[in-house]
Amino acid sequence: MILRMLRLRTLVTGCLAIAALLFAADPAWGVPQVAEQEYRALPFISSRVLMWAVAELHLMFAAFVLAVPMFALVIEFIGYKTGDKRYDQLAYEFTKLLSVSFSFTATLGALLTFGLIVFYPTLAQYLVRIFSWTFLPYVLLFFLEAVFLYTYYYGWGKFSPRVHLFLGVMLNIVGTAIMFIANAWLTFMNTPAGVDELGNLTNLWEAINNYTWMPINIHRLIANVAFGGAIGAAYGAFKFLGAKTPEERAHYDWMGYVGIFVAICALLPLPFAGYWLGVEIYAYDQSLGITLMGGTFSWLFIIQAVLIGNLFLAANYYLWLSMGRIPGAERFRRFIKYLLAVITLCFIVWATPHSLVATVEEARAMGGSHHPILNVLGVMSAKNTAVNLLILTTYVSFLLYRRANKEATVSWAKTGNLVQFGIFAAVVIFVVFLGVYGYFVDAQTRIGLSQPQVLSVLFAMVSVTVIDIFLFRNAQSRGRVAWGKIPARSQYALFFLAITFTWLMGLMGYVRAGMRQHWHVYGVVRDTSVDAFTPTLGFAGMVVSAIVVVFFLLIAVVFFLSSLSGQKNWEPGQSKRWFKRRSETAATPLTQ
Amino acid sequence: MKHALLIFGFTILVSAFYWYVSLWVPQKRTEPPEDIAISADISTDEMIAIGEEIVGGKGTCLTCHTMGESGTGLRFPDLDNIGAIALTRVEGQSDVDYLAESMYDPNAYVVEGFVAGMPDVSRPPVALTDQEILTVIAYLQSLGATPTVTMETQLQWQGQAPTTPAVTPVATGESRDGETIYASYLCNTCHTLDGQAGVGPTFQGIGSRLSKAELYEAVIDPDASITEGYIQGLMLPTVTASRFYDEVTAAELQSLVDYLATL
Amino acid sequence: MNLLVLLTIAAVLVVIQVGVTRWVNLNRLAWMAIWWAALWAAFSYGITPPLPQSIVVLFMAIITIALLAYLSADSEELAQARQTLVSFMVEKRYQVALIVVILTLPLLVALSVFSSLNQAPQPPASGRTIHPVPPASISFEGNTINLSTANNPYRELEHSDPEAFAAHVDNGRRVYFENCFYCHGDNMEGAGQFAHGYDPLPANFNDATTIAMLQESYLFWRIAKGAPGLPPESTPWSSAMPAWENFLTEEEIWDVILFLYEFTGFEPRAQGMPH
Repeated sequence: MILRMLRLRTLVTGCLAIAALLFAADPAWGVPQVAEQEYRALPFISSRVLMWAVAELHLMFAAFVLAVPMFALVIEFIGYKTGDKRYDQLAYEFTKLLSVSFSFTATLGALLTFGLIVFYPTLAQYLVRIFSWTFLPYVLLFFLEAVFLYTYYYGWGKFSPRVHLFLGVMLNIVGTAIMFIANAWLTFMNTPAGVDELGNLTNLWEAINNYTWMPINIHRLIANVAFGGAIGAAYGAFKFLGAKTPEERAHYDWMGYVGIFVAICALLPLPFAGYWLGVEIYAYDQSLGITLMGGTFSWLFIIQAVLIGNLFLAANYYLWLSMGRIPGAERFRRFIKYLLAVITLCFIVWATPHSLVATVEEARAMGGSHHPILNVLGVMSAKNTAVNLLILTTYVSFLLYRRANKEATVSWAKTGNLVQFGIFAAVVIFVVFLGVYGYFVDAQTRIGLSQPQVLSVLFAMVSVTVIDIFLFRNAQSRGRVAWGKIPARSQYALFFLAITFTWLMGLMGYVRAGMRQHWHVYGVVRDTSVDAFTPTLGFAGMVVSAIVVVFFLLIAVVFFLSSLSGQKNWEPGQSKRWFKRRSETAATPLTQ
Repeated sequence: MKHALLIFGFTILVSAFYWYVSLWVPQKRTEPPEDIAISADISTDEMIAIGEEIVGGKGTCLTCHTMGESGTGLRFPDLDNIGAIALTRVEGQSDVDYLAESMYDPNAYVVEGFVAGMPDVSRPPVALTDQEILTVIAYLQSLGATPTVTMETQLQWQGQAPTTPAVTPVATGESRDGETIYASYLCNTCHTLDGQAGVGPTFQGIGSRLSKAELYEAVIDPDASITEGYIQGLMLPTVTASRFYDEVTAAELQSLVDYLATL
Repeated sequence: MNLLVLLTIAAVLVVIQVGVTRWVNLNRLAWMAIWWAALWAAFSYGITPPLPQSIVVLFMAIITIALLAYLSADSEELAQARQTLVSFMVEKRYQVALIVVILTLPLLVALSVFSSLNQAPQPPASGRTIHPVPPASISFEGNTINLSTANNPYRELEHSDPEAFAAHVDNGRRVYFENCFYCHGDNMEGAGQFAHGYDPLPANFNDATTIAMLQESYLFWRIAKGAPGLPPESTPWSSAMPAWENFLTEEEIWDVILFLYEFTGFEPRAQGMPH
């Protein structure tokens, strides 16, 4: 009874909170009538850490829910065009993960909203005052999202393919629109616009379309796909490891491969989207930019470098292991050590910090706080070159994987290979040259150099792929890909990739919010709570690790629920049989 | 099930590894700056709270004003019930304007029975910002009346104080003479030159009463010996708040003492 | 670079790669150990001045991960390596060696504990932010200088009035040699006669990562406010740089900045550009 009353009270409070949220649009409601507590605290855990975890978990699930429909739709479309049933099946399997995740996203979102109202009433009120008008479309779109998502999922195979594909398109459009609205709120907190000096709203559209809104939109759109692909691959790995039949193993091996392929493809343009975001932050306020890239946060980017280096290493590792399932791949095995050497070298350059941790004696030996050789590796020119070469090496690994079982039959095969090699050589030389040249020019020109580097790498990837497609037309096959013939550690590599992606997302989410330092809304609403300090990176790392573990626990629930749908129905007597079997096995030693 | 556990263990392992990486880099916790930032949208109660803190702290008001003491011999008027008093004190002036004027231009109206001498608190050494003064007004109004002032309230004196604290001439490397120091640190607020008793003893004839060594001591360590009838422990915090001890050089101190010795 | 050490390491690697593999079937684990040791030696002893320990650890961690990835990228080789380890642990003929290893491991741990405790006390290794975030504006002689927009007022003279510009540079030269060169040195390499008493050492302006990547307003801030004006993230080493606002005029500071760039041949970073 008490429990029910409590639940009723929670419900009533929840409704009131929602009502408050919606009605606060009216200025008369927005002005506090009574003195209000600015913050509320929790025992045992600081309310900031709790909000941090809830927001990050909400974000991760939201990213997953937004990303999966994107590539599920593409895969479904491929299936529709080629008539290959396998693709349709795969798209459905990805979609199966959606429904539970969608509920989790909504629950975590509600938790986040309540948390804001309870723990940060003043901030919540201020944001409501600014953005009240955007809540209506948000709620409407959320409703539409639910309709489209469940129709897309439950209506699989129930509509004509074109109608179903249209539903998928609508689901994606609505989902993206929801994200854009939510992004307006959070980017406003980082780079507020459309308000006067005292924080009063002057122009809602300016507040929405602030400096970092579009860059964050694009950045998140791409990052979501990478993240969704990685989690999809983790699902494939999970099912692969538990698979009983060769068919299942083959299917889930393929699913993991597709998932990680999507993730890596989306990962490659991500640095450039991030670069644009950084430029906009600098354009908004230089000191905000320097807080982000200089200062204490510069070490955060060393952690990021370790994560990204690991991502590239693990992705290549997975490709090399995958070659084991392709007959003929042993021809390329000897190249692996050279590819690995390049990756390691680039990883080292990429992770070398600019400001070093050195003891006083070491610093004296170096003649200052900069090391004359490491210094060269710590700056932008070296980093850009390293990341471009990393991308290129990963592409070469993929190329070798692609042609593992193929033998070119066209007459110009030799010339074609030479041209491909020539393109690679030229681009590598060009990229390295620009990297070295960057040391001899002023900063303005140096920043301009990153563009030709990227473009030349893109050019190499596109032109080599085009040549490759023609080169291996009607190629002689050395045998079919033996899906499922792959060691279990490759699946752990997929998990490693998924965990690293998740951790990276948690870390970057932290720095995006953390760079505001002691501001709730940068320069407008100051954080005066006891938690206004910026924690150490070790503490942030601990929180991110905890969030990642909780996320994977929740994802395990999602995986479990999704795999239920494929199981046989319960029959009377089933549990009895199971117990009987258990007692028999348990009894065996006794009877001996 | 076995795989699920293995994978979970693996997840914990990898997360722990990245945590370790984040512990490997330098650990620094950045504290927020300590000044009281007053945002535009704080409630009246928050204004009162901040105002109270300023009156007792940065504003150094309680050095001269009292709260709830009565009688003669007070340095400056008692602030008890000032919110109600301000409503009727000057004919035709609202309470907010009166309180504001008392801070921006304190000697425009001096309560009967008191000596003029309060400094403009919007200027150094107290140097309250316009926002801070608004919160102080809110606090003062709350003593005996209901605050009507808000952060949006416009006062005719606002915007006159320099936005950054004026840098004292010491920065140029030029030494100031004793008379300038006497004036610029507002010594005259407490110590008169004409023999009248102020918060502190008059400087008239101080050179004949004290030796130079005693003058040095009286400036550097005011509580070492106190003229009879004056309060101990008052000068040190007041002078400290004026940044006198941070800014005055040894040469300037000497010229100040030389100047006092001539009086 | 210590070429001698690096060449020796390379020679040893070549001999092992070409020579030994021809006669002895080099175990993959041994091959990995040799590469690991060779790279460790190269990082630790092959580079002068030596790399800080923290960097060597970082590099070796990456190399360890890479070597493990290489070992396990091929199922056959992984199986071989596993077989080697298993046979080492169970076969009779390795028994003595196994006992030696088992006894050595705790000894190594004890040795590392001993050596870490046996060190002379020294200040903790710490990262210090070399170029901290400047404040949005500073006050100088009563004026407010907005650091994100301030430009050297005499920079434009370089083209419009070269003679006046040369006079400003000359004044900067005078200021430098009257005030700065005691620590920053005759050639601005940060090795003046007082430099050796300081920690951190005075900045070396010839280094491409000091003034060449900073804006002139940043230099103005550092010169005017000196070490007392450094934000907390630039601790724990406190610089000995004086706050020159107490000694120099605004014009003198801008002039000496002109001279710094003129002397080193660097161009200041333009305003409003990201890192």
